[in-house]
Amino acid sequence: MAAPCSRMANRPLWQFITNVRRTGLKHTGVRQISLSSACRAATQTRSKTEGVASPWKLYGAVCLQRLPVISQERNPIEDQFAELMHQMELERSLLSDHEQRLLEDSERMTRKQADNYDSDEEEADYGGQETITAQDQEDSWEQKLKHFQPALRDRDVGGTPLGSVERCLGDSLVLLVQQTVGKETIWLLPQAQWEAGETLRQTAERGLNSLPEADFKATFLGNTPCGVYRYKFPKEVQTECCVGAKVFFFKAFLSAGSASQKEPFLWVKKTELQGYLKPPYLEKVDRFILNL
Amino acid sequence: MLSCLVYLRNSSPLPLIWYVVLHSSLMGVDGHVSQGPWFASVLTLKTSAPLRAEPKKKKKVDPRREQMVRERLKKKLKKLERVPPELIPIEDFTTPAKYMDETRVRGAPQLPFEESERRALLLKEWSRYKQTQHRAEMEAVGLAVEAQREALEELRLESEELYQAALRPDPLLFPFNHQGPSYTPPKAQYEAPEGKYNNITKVYTQ
Repeated sequence: MAAPCSRMANRPLWQFITNVRRTGLKHTGVRQISLSSACRAATQTRSKTEGVASPWKLYGAVCLQRLPVISQERNPIEDQFAELMHQMELERSLLSDHEQRLLEDSERMTRKQADNYDSDEEEADYGGQETITAQDQEDSWEQKLKHFQPALRDRDVGGTPLGSVERCLGDSLVLLVQQTVGKETIWLLPQAQWEAGETLRQTAERGLNSLPEADFKATFLGNTPCGVYRYKFPKEVQTECCVGAKVFFFKAFLSAGSASQKEPFLWVKKTELQGYLKPPYLEKVDRFILNL
Repeated sequence: MLSCLVYLRNSSPLPLIWYVVLHSSLMGVDGHVSQGPWFASVLTLKTSAPLRAEPKKKKKVDPRREQMVRERLKKKLKKLERVPPELIPIEDFTTPAKYMDETRVRGAPQLPFEESERRALLLKEWSRYKQTQHRAEMEAVGLAVEAQREALEELRLESEELYQAALRPDPLLFPFNHQGPSYTPPKAQYEAPEGKYNNITKVYTQ
């Protein structure tokens, strides 16, 4: 068959060209030029064989991530190391202005309380002013700090529901929705079927916007899909022109949004995905969801 | 002939024969008589200084001299301006004098043997921990890159047009801003107190 042969011809070229996502925007331009000149023959043969519509249905899905809001708790070793670093820095540093002032003030106090205190001599040096000691200043600063109450770090000790965006502020969360695919209702990343005349990224955006009773503002990271999941329909559903479906995933960061609590949304961490997604789907999705 | 006589009005009357000679032999196309160096010198004798009694005007030499002086001044100015611009000092690289003071030195503590051992072991454990972390990160990034590559491969098999659309860079993505994680979450409806500050950074201009 002609189609697999043309695919084989392309594979060595693909192996040379790696698409690093961070510099993907620059490299895609370069790759476009090199591939279009080199693979034109191959693409032409392939387009001839696939002049008929491909047997795969296309879907665009969005992997919407809420990035962490607070820093994570430290491990024991990280704690120890941070303390050690602080100690070493303190030992190797010079005295600061404030510390020098503290020392001078304490010396002055000891001299005052000594028996042979000559107040005239002291006041001649300092001009007889009522000076505020550095210690007093420190105390006043601490008092001011106590007036400010920061928000609590671990707010969801009480157990915020899984559908809330506010849970697990230290980790990045992924949005899951419940959709009917075929005959079942399963948890998956929000997706929509591709329609002719739009790019797959627009399909993914449409899938996100069409979520009922939810208003999420997301920044999509480029036009390139980050992952694909290909599956075949069960035998009874398969027809001549559709053997299965390919779902292309796009990454997006949540910038603002809200959702009503009635609709079945889930914000889950990477480790919790296992409890909701089907194994073959999870295998593909797990690769591009980074916990960094 | 009449025109000749009018032209030589200042001259003393020369014999008529000579005039006729001038007129017939040297009358050119337009009747201009002052041709040839001999005739020119003769004419200037007739119209020279004793008749006019005016001092000589140095019309060309003076402006030239002034111009020369001006050019010399301009060249000197240019030489002075060619000095390279003074380099802006980097204030971070010069330790201020007040930190060289000896009274500021903290007493170096004598660490007991156990403490130094503990520190050395902790540093080694930390390097091992960081190494495993780095390896895990690199693996995760590698997997993500591989997933993207496969996705593009599949897309190419589907439709060339969608593939090309996917490769196009997104001009609206950058500049991308995101507020990173802080120690405590942001308070809702918190108004930060207004502060004043005096900016005392030195600004250098070249």
